[in-house]
Amino acid sequence: MPAKPPIRHFVTFGRALRAAGLEVGPRRIADAICALEAVNLAQQEDVYWALRTTLVSRFEELEIFDSAFAAWFLRVAVRPVLRPVPTVPPPYGRLGRTPAPAGGTEVDGGEREVGSYSTEELLRHKDFSKMTREEFEQTRRWIAAAAITRPRRRSRRLRADRRGRSLHLRGLVRASLASGGDPIRCAYRGPAYKPRKLVLILDVSGSMEAYSRALLLFLHATLSSGRGVETFVFGTHLTRLTAELATRDPETALSAAALKVNDWSGGTRIGDSLKAYNDEWGRRALTRGSVTVIMSDGLERGDDKPVDREMARLARQAFAVVWVNPLKGDPRYEATAAGMRAALPHVDRLIAGHNVASLERLATVLEGISRRHAA
Amino acid sequence: MTQGNRTVPASIEEMAAALDATGYISDRGLSTALFISLTIRKPLLLEGEAGVGKTEAAKAVARILQAPLIRLQCYEGLDIAHAVYEWNYTRQLLHIRAAQDGDVDEAELFGPKFLIRRPLLEAISSPDAPVLLIDEIDRADEEFEAFLLEVLSDFQVTIPELGTVTATTRPYVILTSNRTRELHDALKRRCLFHWIGHPTLEREIEIVSRHVPEAAAGLAAQAAAVVAGLRGSDLAKPPGVAETIDWTQALVALGRRELDIDTVEDTLGAVLKYREDVEAVRDQTLAELVAQARAG
Repeated sequence: MPAKPPIRHFVTFGRALRAAGLEVGPRRIADAICALEAVNLAQQEDVYWALRTTLVSRFEELEIFDSAFAAWFLRVAVRPVLRPVPTVPPPYGRLGRTPAPAGGTEVDGGEREVGSYSTEELLRHKDFSKMTREEFEQTRRWIAAAAITRPRRRSRRLRADRRGRSLHLRGLVRASLASGGDPIRCAYRGPAYKPRKLVLILDVSGSMEAYSRALLLFLHATLSSGRGVETFVFGTHLTRLTAELATRDPETALSAAALKVNDWSGGTRIGDSLKAYNDEWGRRALTRGSVTVIMSDGLERGDDKPVDREMARLARQAFAVVWVNPLKGDPRYEATAAGMRAALPHVDRLIAGHNVASLERLATVLEGISRRHAA
Repeated sequence: MTQGNRTVPASIEEMAAALDATGYISDRGLSTALFISLTIRKPLLLEGEAGVGKTEAAKAVARILQAPLIRLQCYEGLDIAHAVYEWNYTRQLLHIRAAQDGDVDEAELFGPKFLIRRPLLEAISSPDAPVLLIDEIDRADEEFEAFLLEVLSDFQVTIPELGTVTATTRPYVILTSNRTRELHDALKRRCLFHWIGHPTLEREIEIVSRHVPEAAAGLAAQAAAVVAGLRGSDLAKPPGVAETIDWTQALVALGRRELDIDTVEDTLGAVLKYREDVEAVRDQTLAELVAQARAG
């Protein structure tokens, strides 16, 4: 067996990797040292592969590992391998002005006093863009409540169900033990249901500014409805926000999201953003079988051909495509924007999403989607 | 638990040579990963685009160790009854009927005789260490992943009616994933990790010639070059090595010894599986790639 590797050196290397964002625990370090004992330490290539196999656990980490390895063992001058941390929060509109968390009227665990039924109802139908901050604060929990419902899919598994259609053999065997092998009472099984994958893609460009905060809250609340939800936002390019929005507290989540996205309230490139989604996530089969919700006003700055092409790609893979367009809140709205016109043929359902009532409508639609492309 | 060791190649070089002998052409990185995984007895997670030879690598390892390969193909909705065990209900019912007077020994009824072993249980209860291939783990549900985590850390499963079955030998475990979703960190912590990228041109030519020995020498090289070029184009689904092999076989079946643009267009379906991709390269890119491949 080769000589014991200079353990200290590798442990420090592991720590450097951890500082750079890799999840390198004691167990991985121990594995790395075992692995190094098995390879020839004089062979730089073997040391590289031994460390890479044991210390890296995902594709995204390979690049960080490579530059750290180069800096550590090959003494190559590289830029620091620290995770890029934005120093200045990017400026953006409405989202940045985080309102004070709670008004003075709220008591511990209690609910803020809201108006009578009719004012509440009025608020539910009030356009987000016309709300005052206080009004918006009141709607927050309605938005969160609406986002809890999820589309469902049939699980491959069957569960015991008296009204089921197929025989529950396990139950039957159990029951017939009591009657000496005569299956007197039949047991049945019926389908079980599970939440279906849900992908939400939100447009946060300038023209959507008045709605993006409310819709972002919707995204955040959907994530807490369980597994299988992915969230993305786009302006000129696509950003995945699932990890950032997964925090329980909405304000923390929105701030984390604000840091991650750097094209708030800028231009819109729907086609390119959808292409980025299809290439990176659709190819990894995220779309397949999912209900995909796109929230955008469809005001595409660029060419509308890519929108048509990418929406077609998306629609072929998704179980159903729902488009939420706040402009549709206006009864006189017609899909004249080039991007929206290009997307419409591939959309199963077009919903407004400009007020609480329409988000509740969205929830009902999502819950009811049971057949492919029959939103 | 005994280790149930099989003869494992003693060095990376031996590993590479052994892989080569089974017909699997590996690179230094993959040989090292497999070698370390077998040596320190830790599951290896192989990730990579579809068609880069993840499953084949596991099969090659089984051949090298001369161990049986037990494969668990994952899919959405995979459950314990299909992954671990199930009772043979039909047989149980017949048995109860045959006993007539109601004297059925429940311990016998839920005994090994009526147990159907599925891959995980089979891998654990096998007397000689097998190679356990858990294929496309990313397609299974997350609950199943959590269950798998238990199996991989303790190498035991519990059957309520029978008790806990602990592994007599520890299987060599290889997991593959197409990265359709991120796997759980806890599962990754149990595994070594290796990313299999698309092979270099030289290696791909070697792989293709090995799989399609009847192909003319130039044909394999040209096909590999065109596929490598296609991977560089902006495609929805870049072709893998498996596609290169299929395509070369198709070309051989057509009796071609060299690529020409007409044949390429006719057989493109073996390489590109999306209409958009076919249309995207058909006019310009393809002609250029074929010309380059013929010149190169």
